[in-house]
Amino acid sequence: MTPGQLLLFAVGGLANAAYLFIVAAGLSLVFGALRVINMAHGSLYMIAAFVTVVIANQIGAELGFWAGLLVAVAVTGAIGGIVEILVLRRVYGREHLVQLLGTYAVSLVIAGGVRIVFGANYRTVVSPIPGHIDVGGYSYASYSLFMIAAAILIAIGVWAMLYRTNLGRNIRAAVADPDLLNATGVDVTRLYTTVFVIGAGLAGLGGAIVAPSQAISSSIDTDVLVLAFAISVIGGLGSIVGSGIGALIVGMVISFGLVIPATNPYALAFVFIIMTAVLIVRPRGLFGRPES
Amino acid sequence: MTRLLPRSRGDRLRWGLVLVLFVFVAVIPPLAGLYENLNPDASARFQIFLGTSALVLALWAISYNLMLGYTGMVSFAHAAYYGVGAYTVALLFKRYNVPVIVGLAAAPFVAAVVGLITGLVAQRAVRLYFSLLTLAISQLLFSLVYQSYDITGGDNGASITLPDQLTDYTTLYYFTAVVVGVCLLLMFILVRSPLGAALLSIRENRQRASAIGINVKVYELAVYTIASVFAGVAGGLFIFYQQQAYPEMLYWTANAQPVVVSLMGGTNTFLGPAIGAFIYVVLENAISKHFPYQFDIILGAIVLGVVLAVPGGVSDLPTVFARLRERFHRAEEAEAPVESAGEAIRMFDVRKALASEAIQAEEVHSGKTLLSIEHLSKRFGGLRAVEDVSLEVKQGDRHAIIGPNGAGKSTLFNLLTGQLKPTSGKVIFDGRDITGKPPHVIARTGIGRAFQITTIFPKLTVRQNLQYAMLAHGGYTVRPFGFANRMFRAEAQELAEAVGLGAWADLPAGQLSHGDQRAIEIAISLALGSKLVLLDEPTAGMSSYETDKAMELVRRLATERHLTLLFCEHDMSVVFSTARTVTVMHQGRVLTAGTPEQIRHNPDVQKVYLGELEQEELGA
Repeated sequence: MTPGQLLLFAVGGLANAAYLFIVAAGLSLVFGALRVINMAHGSLYMIAAFVTVVIANQIGAELGFWAGLLVAVAVTGAIGGIVEILVLRRVYGREHLVQLLGTYAVSLVIAGGVRIVFGANYRTVVSPIPGHIDVGGYSYASYSLFMIAAAILIAIGVWAMLYRTNLGRNIRAAVADPDLLNATGVDVTRLYTTVFVIGAGLAGLGGAIVAPSQAISSSIDTDVLVLAFAISVIGGLGSIVGSGIGALIVGMVISFGLVIPATNPYALAFVFIIMTAVLIVRPRGLFGRPES
Repeated sequence: MTRLLPRSRGDRLRWGLVLVLFVFVAVIPPLAGLYENLNPDASARFQIFLGTSALVLALWAISYNLMLGYTGMVSFAHAAYYGVGAYTVALLFKRYNVPVIVGLAAAPFVAAVVGLITGLVAQRAVRLYFSLLTLAISQLLFSLVYQSYDITGGDNGASITLPDQLTDYTTLYYFTAVVVGVCLLLMFILVRSPLGAALLSIRENRQRASAIGINVKVYELAVYTIASVFAGVAGGLFIFYQQQAYPEMLYWTANAQPVVVSLMGGTNTFLGPAIGAFIYVVLENAISKHFPYQFDIILGAIVLGVVLAVPGGVSDLPTVFARLRERFHRAEEAEAPVESAGEAIRMFDVRKALASEAIQAEEVHSGKTLLSIEHLSKRFGGLRAVEDVSLEVKQGDRHAIIGPNGAGKSTLFNLLTGQLKPTSGKVIFDGRDITGKPPHVIARTGIGRAFQITTIFPKLTVRQNLQYAMLAHGGYTVRPFGFANRMFRAEAQELAEAVGLGAWADLPAGQLSHGDQRAIEIAISLALGSKLVLLDEPTAGMSSYETDKAMELVRRLATERHLTLLFCEHDMSVVFSTARTVTVMHQGRVLTAGTPEQIRHNPDVQKVYLGELEQEELGA
């Protein structure tokens, strides 16, 4: 592999890592604060992708994409709020199993709904940022570079939200000790709704951003969910830094795994081999903290 | 069907339901034939095909429920073993011309091997992380099958041809019914056995399960493997009526089917998932015929309804209805959470306790050291919770450990019973080095423990709490046959009566009042036939009357049954009335040790407690 090829695949890996990070960060944030694994996270991502594609194709690629992105994030955030209030509030503090099943049921409902509203066909939208950048004889899609930049911005945004705002301070306190936080007068119920809405919004943002780079179908919910799980587990559930590292690992493995002929068919299998290996060595992931 | 958890009413109804289900399964083909004769459009073949698929789904779901309902494990890899079973039949047939019947016989063994190996990996993590690890394993197996086109046929799947004897759909139906029936019988024997009791106790309370001597990880691996065996059979049967195996059978989302079916039928009954399977097949067929896309939504709504409103599934509907009716009639005798209201303590029966054979009664040689702790230390980062503690407990002694909050008493206990591993030092019990051994090993050497925070099996009855402790102590829980609830029944009843809980022996332990749950806690630690009983603040939260009664029982048992006691306690009257030896701990170290009289007059001890008093007054 020449240095040029290496760079090409590395950028491909970064672009994978970019959207996966956005999705996984939402999953991890929700788990960290609420201790709930959201099985419907991929479904929110799927809704956002469809909404973006439909609106962008209605209005026209460039303006339409940005409008679609905003609407998609708003829609998924709203659905997240409804799900939190109607379903999750009733399963906090119960076994993990009940929480898994509750959010799983939501994912079934959303999957069925998406198939009715958007149909079972593949959909695509042209890139809002067309063009290529040529470096060393290889050309890089401008949109991939945009995805990478967007992920970095979102990473900074999430960090700033967690460490520079009152909301973030409360979220971190909720991660550490929700009972104590409640005793200090913070409305934990509302905080949980807010966190879940933010998590759902991140899933939506991931889905909207990925739309121009992939064909969208009604099976992308489970595909992305299983990758987001892998990332969160590798990095450690509840850790945003872990999500970043995990997304980089998974993004690179998929990118390089697909182009190396010997590993091509098993690129995804490698992700799960790494996930298994990490959990065997560090049962709570690379950056995970033990449950109290 | 037997309930996991006993309930006084409805047992006859349940066995009636089993009979109805059995007859229903037997008459599906003739009914389908009749239906075809009446409706020219209907196809008996299709109805029987649906029946076959329901039977296979029932087997698959019940095997899943061995983990879900009986042990409390959520696996995302169970579908993979189902797929492995189907592919075993298909690939043996296609590549080696092995008859499919032989393939079906091989399927459980292949599934067992795959289940055991992957189970060993999944065992590295617990609870949620275990679930996520099974997800990775499932996807790994899926991509292997999906991508190995040359061997498995990739996404084309792999097909078989049935022998002539089985091509008739009615014959195939009855063949499937017999195989499923045999498997269900085997699983039924298993869940009622002492092994099943061990699984239930793990589901109820992992910490207590290991403290009565159950090796939680090994039992979890065992049930995981056993479940894969039956999933393998179900997968093998699947390919018999479908004649094709697909890679999607192994995909992690395929686990939704057995989970939903178990949930609909009820995870806390043995046959609940079977009823769920028939409902599922009928629903799926009826709904997807008219509304192909709506099935997911309806399924999701059902799961939501079950999770939020009827946690016990269809089998629990009678209870839900009964509760609704009670609410409607404003019945006075609604389910009382605290039925016993601390009565137990008043009814402690020392004579019965002394007669109980469950409690050890070996002759002891006073003066011999039973437990010796040598230079034991435990650090959490920079915090020295226990620092260089050495002490000896003589056989037959009643040894109290006292000290202000944060002195390291509970940490010391956790080091002794294996909940924590020491940083350095040694623990010798009865001549054996038990330093850093896991809790279940230490429990089996003869150390029983009552925890400071009540640690019992809340949904099991009081008697079962004691029975299972005795089963585990006797090493019976490895048995996959026999009827656990009939073993040690009399002994457990005797012990329950001794601690005053005889009248509530059939109630779920979690329904009793706090004081009575403490009594169960103490009784469990006695039921283990232990040479040494560790009591971590045995009377925490009890009234002074309850405390007196409880300690009287403990004292007399200790004296007359030659128990060795090691306990920590804040209530000084308890300490000085019960202990023969007192060790005082302060900031992780042993301050001093001696007789109660010596301790009472030791100025250092007074200073420690006085110091704490002053700090408290200062509000620190």
